[in-house]
Amino acid sequence: MKNTIKVERAKKNWTQADLAKHIGISRQGLNSIETGKFVPSTLLALRMAKVFNTTVEALFQLDDTEM
Amino acid sequence: MERSKKTLNQQTIIFALIYGATYLPATWLLKHYVFERPVSIIIVIVPVIAFSIFIFKYIKAFSAMDEVKQRVQFEAVVIGFSLTAMLMMILFLLGLCGISNPFWFGYGLLVGYCWLFYLVGWLISKRKYGA
Repeated sequence: MKNTIKVERAKKNWTQADLAKHIGISRQGLNSIETGKFVPSTLLALRMAKVFNTTVEALFQLDDTEM
Repeated sequence: MERSKKTLNQQTIIFALIYGATYLPATWLLKHYVFERPVSIIIVIVPVIAFSIFIFKYIKAFSAMDEVKQRVQFEAVVIGFSLTAMLMMILFLLGLCGISNPFWFGYGLLVGYCWLFYLVGWLISKRKYGA
C-alpha cells in the first residue's frame, strides 16, 4: 500500500514526531506506517486524514499488485 | 495520556523484575533446603502471584499501546509461544524414545527458554516493523 503521508507532512512542515503526537501514536510507529511496513487501522487512517484535512483515499492508495 | 502509557510500561517492567526476583530465590531455596509442606507451598505460590500481577499489568499496558506496538508484542508472543510449544513437543517425543537431557531441558529451564523465545520474537517483529 502506498501513501502520501510524507508529502502531506511536508506541506504542513511537520516532523514525524509532530504528526505522531497529533494522532496519538509513537514516532517509531508512524515511521513504520509512512514507510509502508505497517498498514494502519481504519480509525488511525481516518484520524490522519482529518489532521491533514484530506480523505483516506487521497492519503492511502493500493499498489498495482494489490488491485 | 502519554504519561499514563509510560507509567503502565514502567509498572509492567517493575513487576517482571519482581517476578524474576521471587522466582530465582524460590528455585534456589526449594532446591537446596527441605521445608515443611505448607512452607514449601507458600514459597511456590509467591512467584506465581508475582507472575500473575505481571501478566495483569502487561495486558493493561498492551491495551494502552498504539497499534504498531500492539502488533510487535502480539507477534513476539505468538513466536515465543510457538517455539516453546515446538521445543516441548520435541522433548516429549525424544522422551518417548528415551533420549532426554533433564540438565539442559528441565521444567525450570523451560521457563527460561520461553522468555528467550519471546525475546527472539520481539526482536524479529521489532526489526520487521522498525518500531
